Amino acid sequence: MANTSSLKWRRSLAALAAALSIVVAACGTSTTSPSTAPAPASDAPASVAPGGSPAASAGYTGPPASIEYAIWGDPAEIDSQTKLVNSFMALNPTITVKVSVADWDSYWEKLLTGLSGGAAPDVFAMDGPLYPDYQARDVLLDLQPFIERDGYDLGQLADQGVGVFKTEGGQFGLPRDLNVVALYYNKKMFDAAGVPYPDDTWDWAKLIEVGKKLTLDTDSDGKPDQWGLYTETSDMENYWLSLVWQNGGDFFAADGKTTALTTDQAAGGIQFLQDLIYKHKILAEPSVFVETGDAFEQGLAAMEINGSWLVPTDLAAGIDLGIAPIPSGPAGRFTTVNPTGAVVYKGTKSPDAAWEFVKYLTSPAAQEQLMQLKASLPVSKEVLAGPYAAAFDGAKVFADSLAYAKPKPSFKGYDEYTGILQGELDENVFVTPNKTAKEAIESVAAQLNTLMGS
Amino acid sequence: MSRSVAPGRPLLRPRPSGRLGRDSWWAWVFLAPTLLGLAVLSAGPILASFAISLTDWDLLSPPEFVGLGNFGSLLSDPRFLVALRNTAFYTVTSVPLGLILGLGLALALDQRIRGIAIIRTAYFLPVVTSTTAIALVWLWIYSPQGGVLNNALGVFGISPQKWVSDPVFAMPAIVLMSVWQGLGTTVIIFLAGLQGIPQEFYDAASVDGAGRWARFRSVTLPLLTPTIFFTGILAFIDAFQVFDQVYVMARPGEPTKSTITLVYFIYEAGFDHFKMGLAAAASWILFLIVAVMTILYFRSQRRWVHYQ
Repeated sequence: MANTSSLKWRRSLAALAAALSIVVAACGTSTTSPSTAPAPASDAPASVAPGGSPAASAGYTGPPASIEYAIWGDPAEIDSQTKLVNSFMALNPTITVKVSVADWDSYWEKLLTGLSGGAAPDVFAMDGPLYPDYQARDVLLDLQPFIERDGYDLGQLADQGVGVFKTEGGQFGLPRDLNVVALYYNKKMFDAAGVPYPDDTWDWAKLIEVGKKLTLDTDSDGKPDQWGLYTETSDMENYWLSLVWQNGGDFFAADGKTTALTTDQAAGGIQFLQDLIYKHKILAEPSVFVETGDAFEQGLAAMEINGSWLVPTDLAAGIDLGIAPIPSGPAGRFTTVNPTGAVVYKGTKSPDAAWEFVKYLTSPAAQEQLMQLKASLPVSKEVLAGPYAAAFDGAKVFADSLAYAKPKPSFKGYDEYTGILQGELDENVFVTPNKTAKEAIESVAAQLNTLMGS
Repeated sequence: MSRSVAPGRPLLRPRPSGRLGRDSWWAWVFLAPTLLGLAVLSAGPILASFAISLTDWDLLSPPEFVGLGNFGSLLSDPRFLVALRNTAFYTVTSVPLGLILGLGLALALDQRIRGIAIIRTAYFLPVVTSTTAIALVWLWIYSPQGGVLNNALGVFGISPQKWVSDPVFAMPAIVLMSVWQGLGTTVIIFLAGLQGIPQEFYDAASVDGAGRWARFRSVTLPLLTPTIFFTGILAFIDAFQVFDQVYVMARPGEPTKSTITLVYFIYEAGFDHFKMGLAAAASWILFLIVAVMTILYFRSQRRWVHYQ
């Protein structure tokens, strides 16, 4: 599955024989669909604060309920989410939340079979780009009636996050946290070379110039021992989508389904990434670090452009970390934001309790807890502007970058589409430079457009 | 079940009358768990997957009947054809290589020397190790960044290669790892086969003046054909279902055109692309290929397999 790069290598073997899984799914019993309408207003809490920012304890008054909350993640994330759940249960003693955890690949397998068999978790984490695949198949509960009933103000959450889970006719989830792409730099390496730290004046030319200064062959064997830059080429989110926008291009044409990557601007953005590797040679070929992982984290690269999830791992690796805005391109500064959301299963037996929990996840108290991981940005505007911006060195860069961040595309059939696109780019543009970016995109454009029915 | 008794052989004890004798009743009781397991866990799913293969089904919406449409689209799907080609390549390289190396090793290990048990155990260890662990070690061997293989080849002046990310080397690299991993099983079976060959045949051959090679050609190999036949069929079916090795080794991130296999295609179609019907149809094509090849293989048996 073409997943967010932060999760790419977190796969463990889930060698389910496909045929068996199909049948497990087929044999699942489907439960009768319980009522999913919000409880009548009389049951709703009367204590909703005006201004639509209900206190987290605003309270569930329904019958005792037990809900399951499914997430993917590494041990630190799981620990943080469990703490959130415990705080929620302390505030809502009549609701029991059971957390179930899986690694990225098996998370989606379990979810699909669970949904198919009518035994899905009540609340589950949702990756922004994959949301339409689930929403379009009518398995998510529309939260709009609950939002209206409680007077919940969506304006308190970052717009890019809210927008991703909005579909004509409803709001089928709330964002839980955001990942944004920025520039990371190793202060020690910059100091050693006597180069000033990156700042918000940086553009493509400056990136190349400094990148060359910091690409060093210390043992003179003809191969760099320190790279100027590191990034991942295997997903658009890591860097190349931002480059497309920075060069004045876009992912889809105005109709929202025809690929716009064939334009000179868009292809030029992707071309810039290929040039960083094979022309300017400040970025290692993807195959060099494919087994050993992140060169920046290992202290083998002076800069990295990638998502906010890197912060805790880089800090844990003892990198003297600096964070700067992504360098701007010919058409300006753009970066990529990708939300993770919480959605409610349409067949849940306890829609009110599930909504209460989703609402809690976006509350300032929960968001402050979540941000302590440093792995992602809070979605609560109040927390973003306040405690988060001061939480660690560089957090303000992330918070400010939302002003020029665009969400990663999200559409039905995302995985198959990006599989074809990224497969071609990996094979012929990044891993081996057989083609220019434009040639590669053109070779798969017709296939991509057919998939989208355009 | 035949009730007739060979002439001249008296019944040891009288059988009770009735359609189901006491013995056969008990036989069915003891067989029941296996039969039930087969019916519920194998026959049921096989039939269900055939039904699913005739539908367009995303697991979440009600299935839609499309007849043989899925089979049609598979045969014109370039990714499926590439998966088929890669699987065939994997099979025709890994099976013979595994058999030849396995036989060679078994011959070498069929000795009475000190510590042979430890050596045999060492060859069997990879078989009982998880593929994920093995693949991670091999990824390190293949790594272009200080990998063992490139360093070793560098000694002979061979320039470093990308191995798993290079479209040319990716599949051979996976084949090599799989052969190494599966060698233990083949060696154990061949060893058992070798030790089942009576010493008298070798003695007789020696008396006739046969040398080492002649003894191998005329005694060992013919008498080992049942074992080769058996190991071959296991290796073949296993090879056609290759998944874990590719799932863990493939770079970057997921199998490319050079490494996607049939079972990975099935997995991807079902769980990533929401196309369970297509996945089921692909499983059936895989099943038919394996079934036909197995039948042909069994048919070939009378031409080259010698039972003592």
